[in-house]
Amino acid sequence: MEEIIERKPFEVTVGPQHPALKEPGNFQFTVDGEIVTNAAVRLGYAHRGIEKAAEERNWIQNIYLVERICGICSHIHATAYCLAVEHLANIQAPPRAQAIRVLVSELERIHSHLLWIGVAAHEAGFDTLFMYSWRDRETIMDILEKLTGNRVNYSTNLLGGVKIDVDGEHKTGILKGLDILEERTKHYLNIVTTDAFFLQRTRGVGTMTQRQAEVMGAVGPTARASGVARDVRIESPYGAYDEFRPNLIIEQAGDLEARFIVRVKELFESYRLVREILDRLPEGELSVRMPRRIKPAEYAMRVEAPRGELFYFVKSNGTDKPERVKVRTPTICNMTTVVKLVVGHQLADVPLILAGIDPCFSCNDRMVIVRDNRKIETIESRR
Amino acid sequence: MEILLDFLRLLIFPGGLFLLLAGLLYEWADRKLLAQLQNRIGPRWFQPIADIMKLMGKEEVIPDGSNKRLFVWLPIAALAGGLTAALYVPIMGIKPAFNFTGDLIVTLYLLSLLTLCMGLAGSNTMDRFSMLGATRTFTQLFSYEAPFMLALLGPALVAGSWQIDKITAYTESHWLIFTQPIGFVVVIIGLMGKLELPPFDAPEAETEIVAGALTEYSGRGLALFRLGKGVEMVIGLTLVAAFYLGGVSNPVLFLVKTLALLVVVAVLQAVLSRLRIDQTVGIWWRYGALLVLVQWLFMFLGQRLTL
Amino acid sequence: MDAENTFETVHLLLEDWAERFETPDPTRLEVYMKHVDDLVPAVVGLRVKKLGYLAAIVGLDPGADTEELEILYHFCTQDLMIILRFRVPKTDASVSSLCDIVPSAESFERELCEMYGITIVGLRNPGHLYLPDDWKEGVYPLRKGVDPRIAFQNN
Repeated sequence: MEEIIERKPFEVTVGPQHPALKEPGNFQFTVDGEIVTNAAVRLGYAHRGIEKAAEERNWIQNIYLVERICGICSHIHATAYCLAVEHLANIQAPPRAQAIRVLVSELERIHSHLLWIGVAAHEAGFDTLFMYSWRDRETIMDILEKLTGNRVNYSTNLLGGVKIDVDGEHKTGILKGLDILEERTKHYLNIVTTDAFFLQRTRGVGTMTQRQAEVMGAVGPTARASGVARDVRIESPYGAYDEFRPNLIIEQAGDLEARFIVRVKELFESYRLVREILDRLPEGELSVRMPRRIKPAEYAMRVEAPRGELFYFVKSNGTDKPERVKVRTPTICNMTTVVKLVVGHQLADVPLILAGIDPCFSCNDRMVIVRDNRKIETIESRR
Repeated sequence: MEILLDFLRLLIFPGGLFLLLAGLLYEWADRKLLAQLQNRIGPRWFQPIADIMKLMGKEEVIPDGSNKRLFVWLPIAALAGGLTAALYVPIMGIKPAFNFTGDLIVTLYLLSLLTLCMGLAGSNTMDRFSMLGATRTFTQLFSYEAPFMLALLGPALVAGSWQIDKITAYTESHWLIFTQPIGFVVVIIGLMGKLELPPFDAPEAETEIVAGALTEYSGRGLALFRLGKGVEMVIGLTLVAAFYLGGVSNPVLFLVKTLALLVVVAVLQAVLSRLRIDQTVGIWWRYGALLVLVQWLFMFLGQRLTL
Repeated sequence: MDAENTFETVHLLLEDWAERFETPDPTRLEVYMKHVDDLVPAVVGLRVKKLGYLAAIVGLDPGADTEELEILYHFCTQDLMIILRFRVPKTDASVSSLCDIVPSAESFERELCEMYGITIVGLRNPGHLYLPDDWKEGVYPLRKGVDPRIAFQNN
């Protein structure tokens, strides 16, 4: 009598705890040997109910709330929120404040890309590049600390302007740091384009055509690496970006190597922008007064976070609390591309393909359930 | 009296305890060198020793579904294989405790026993990461084994013997790194494959499969495997130094030559990024085997011409 | 295509299905749609004319005492934004899925579904995206007047 053994597909679960993930997320890969045949994603491990929480805090408290959606893109979240709320109140922040906002945004972009180079190199097994790029990341964090008082989570935005000012000493410090970083970045560009072993892991891996990128809704450097000319700073300039215009960095190959090249070249672009801003920083006040209550209105604001397009929808109802705050982060758009792209690739390429979109799970999720022995609380009740 | 001395040599110096300690200190040297190359500080000298002591004291968790006896005995077998292999190798420049014709082959196979045990330990555990790791370990074993062995047998051929101490007697006067340079390159890379050092660390790729075959090991089992790896490193370095770098006739020469080799290995680790398992196999079967055969061709031609 | 031309094209495309058009800003066109069944043909029309990519789907609850929910579909092109606005009844809210036309809509729709309790017809992976698997049925956190804590009361 023969037994029919049912062949079940072999499933590899990556997450929520896994060395490849710096933040929790759950990916279910079905593999056949080393080739991935199916993928599914489950998020929500860092969800904190921020959109609901925002409805119960006033406009100013919400700046601090949205800053904490993400560690690496905290400033851009706060900037998007402030710009949206200022629009609702029909207020314009003064030019100096707008320029400083853009300055810190670009410094944050530099920090984020340097961090990403290290993390992606680590996923590929190239620890030396990881260690070197994170050593250089210290330089940018020191710059940001001198400027804003904190290495991560800069908290420079106010409704109506900024809190910090840039003086001569800051300027020389930043310029010196940028010179060092520019030297190092040239070296990294060399490595990601010419190191034979590294190229074996990145060239031709995770290729996404331009058509696929457009259909799947990819945003940010991931999309630009596939030839999609989408950069919110250029097509829909906000803040001081119509004064200080960035160039579009675009690659056609669409593979992992292209994603590396786009981000490294964006570093050069950010260095140039920062130098330009420091050169032509407009004089003036740092902030203007904002009303406490904002008359009913709606606005949708798009900004370019280091990971791609960040979308904020803010609705006011005449009180000092928002009616609705909706945050749509770039990673959720790019996550679909990962799930579709990994099929057909080897399991060894999966961490790198995931790292290629520069995932920020904290940005995505917005619920912590705090259980202690006696009662169950949500983060809501801890105000 | 003889027996007592023999026991001492087997268990304390240069085998046994000394070898285990040497394995850990070489592991430290490797980690420290790598750290310095990566612009970091690196661990202090007693870190690997402290790691082992900590692991020995931890609870060993045997996962459900695996064969308990195998789970416990495989690490012991692995370490035993490694320690036995050391009996025929001139550690610290001291003549090996035992030797007989063909002990080179036995040593190589005992080293493979270690890798085999690790792979079996991975397949024994009912965990997706260990099973993937075990598959990769075995795949890698099959690919570097041939070129690595052939590269070590090259010196055996020119020395005219399969016995390690007879080979080292020959190589003391002939520095084979100059007469068989291709063989030297293959053997160094083969050693890195055997020790699962980057770029050949796909079997234990932390960012892909957690820890490969040893994912579910903890406590004493993991400590024994790590000791085995350290011993394997010392034996491997000794063999390469003895065969290609003009023999190891005294402790000072031993230390200098093996540490020089370690520097080369550390630099290669720092500079190259990890290869996928299919790329590793590709490199080995295409370039490794080819290079070794070319080397052998030159050797034969050389022998013909000098006859 | 500049703002005027684009908005002109949208007018022509959607005038049969729209209640009214509003331009609160020179770069924003709000289209108040009559019926939620017109969603799919409207989006197909926008995609065919390449009038923007789907940037976000926003759910709105006008208040705990109202009967309807609002869903906003934001399409962006260059610096212009075209917003399609639909109303659905709170009890038995349902709308067609866009994932056949716009694959990126899947994640947005899953979030809308679990946060507002709007049934998305035709969604391929209808499971929770952010909420845990053991979240209490029928508790839609982003609706007004809903305290998410009631999801844990019977634990």
